[in-house]
Amino acid sequence: MIDLEAWLQECYPQSVRTAYLILGNRLDAEDAVQEAFLRAWKFRDSLVKESSIRPWLYRVVVNTCMSKLRQEIPHRDRRSSDETLASLAASDEFVGRIGLSHDVMSALNDLAAHLRIVVVLRYYADLSEREIAIAIDRKPGTVKSRLNEARRRLAEHPALRSERPRDSTSSEEISA
Amino acid sequence: MTMIDEGRLRDALHEAADSFEISEEAIDRVRAQAHASKNESWLSHAPVLARLPGRGRVLLAAAALVLIVGAISLPLLRSEGGPSQSASAAHRSSLGPVVSGTGLKTATSLKGLPTTLTVTGGETAPSGTSSTSAAASLAPKIQSTGSVHLMVGKGKVTSAIAKLGDLAIRDEGFVLSTRATEGTRVSRSFSNAAVVLQVPQRFFASLVAQVQRVGRATSIVTSSNDVTGQYVDFEAQLKALDASREQYLTIMTRATTIGGILAVQNQLDTIESQIEQLQGQINVLDNATTYGALTVSLAEAGQQSHVVKPRSGLAKAWHGAIAGFVHGFEWLIRISGPALFAVLCLGVLLALGRLAWRATRRRI
Repeated sequence: MIDLEAWLQECYPQSVRTAYLILGNRLDAEDAVQEAFLRAWKFRDSLVKESSIRPWLYRVVVNTCMSKLRQEIPHRDRRSSDETLASLAASDEFVGRIGLSHDVMSALNDLAAHLRIVVVLRYYADLSEREIAIAIDRKPGTVKSRLNEARRRLAEHPALRSERPRDSTSSEEISA
Repeated sequence: MTMIDEGRLRDALHEAADSFEISEEAIDRVRAQAHASKNESWLSHAPVLARLPGRGRVLLAAAALVLIVGAISLPLLRSEGGPSQSASAAHRSSLGPVVSGTGLKTATSLKGLPTTLTVTGGETAPSGTSSTSAAASLAPKIQSTGSVHLMVGKGKVTSAIAKLGDLAIRDEGFVLSTRATEGTRVSRSFSNAAVVLQVPQRFFASLVAQVQRVGRATSIVTSSNDVTGQYVDFEAQLKALDASREQYLTIMTRATTIGGILAVQNQLDTIESQIEQLQGQINVLDNATTYGALTVSLAEAGQQSHVVKPRSGLAKAWHGAIAGFVHGFEWLIRISGPALFAVLCLGVLLALGRLAWRATRRRI
């Protein structure tokens, strides 16, 4: 049996942040994750039968996010990410790093939803390709090709093209 | 092919996403709602339909296919039973109109002025088809619209607007919009106006009659459209989709795997969005058939009427001549560009030819 409290503490914050990266809006992200958690909680008995809960939970979250994106609420735009970053920029501590985050967010928001989702699940939620495949209900090969496509598009994005790697030793740059 | 640095991407995503605090209130809300639905774990006691994800998916896909085919074919079968909307309308017209003037286009004169009167459509007797027999059980849904051009005395446009408003209110309707334009700067009164009135369908004909008393009518155009068949089709589609939705909800109670549940949930989302769209279309039809809209154009006597008088042969020839002249002038301007280009090219070629000729002569 899943312990609700542990589940909420462990998975809720990261799910909201993941949804925020997918949707680009904090309010929509919180709505989507609340809906997803309630749905997952309703079917918790089936959930525990699965070998790993995490990708399945992300699958519910991704599906809810996709529903939100399909609805495309007109009165909310995607500027809240800019607002969050702008508020951070006010503190000196973040000034150096904020440029990169801002550029990456801008490039991420310009990606198609199906590419953005795999990027966020891989590089933020730290899911493996196999887990992402479960989360988006596609084959691992599809995940791999989408990740490649997303990385290529991000590299070609004008906001990131001018960026130079800051630390070449930690670079995991891949060339096809 | 260049790729983005994965480490930097990871760092940037963490910086962006971890920049805000998760509100405890949101977690509390989820907690409260989850506790409220704690006893709703009906799924675990439900009979097992698909223990294996693959089998469950195949069954669900098959059920979905059957339901979708049913949902699509039901309205089609209904519509095949009777003629199409326009065909049935034509057929009904041939049976003879109930409303006088249905399907007629006539020109008549009002108070000695050359005017046009166009009346199309109208409420008609139902035909014997299955579609219309279903429609017959409903109250007929008629969409009525019309426009009237009125001439009023000098400086009386404002009072006419007020009178039109009173007429609409008396017939339980309202003024949808008013647009008035000022005439001369001296008089500071309106010389032209357009008023859109909406009244319940049953008062539409009487409104058209009463509006003509406000001024001198120079043109009346009214049209009615029977949308009962369309309405019945929408209702049938809605019923079919509702039935599909119920079926999916039943399937949902039997699904035990997350994959199955999500597959059903996706289908349910699609069906619900279709239901919402249909409901919206039905609402639009409802609104359009509840009220009839009449646009009244007002003009002061002596102003140019909105009605375009047919031109005589001589006037037509004169306008044709002017249009021909303008077209000819346009053509000249249009070809001047390419012609200039051609002349330049020719000049360059001649200059080159001359240089070549001179060079050849020097060698000789």
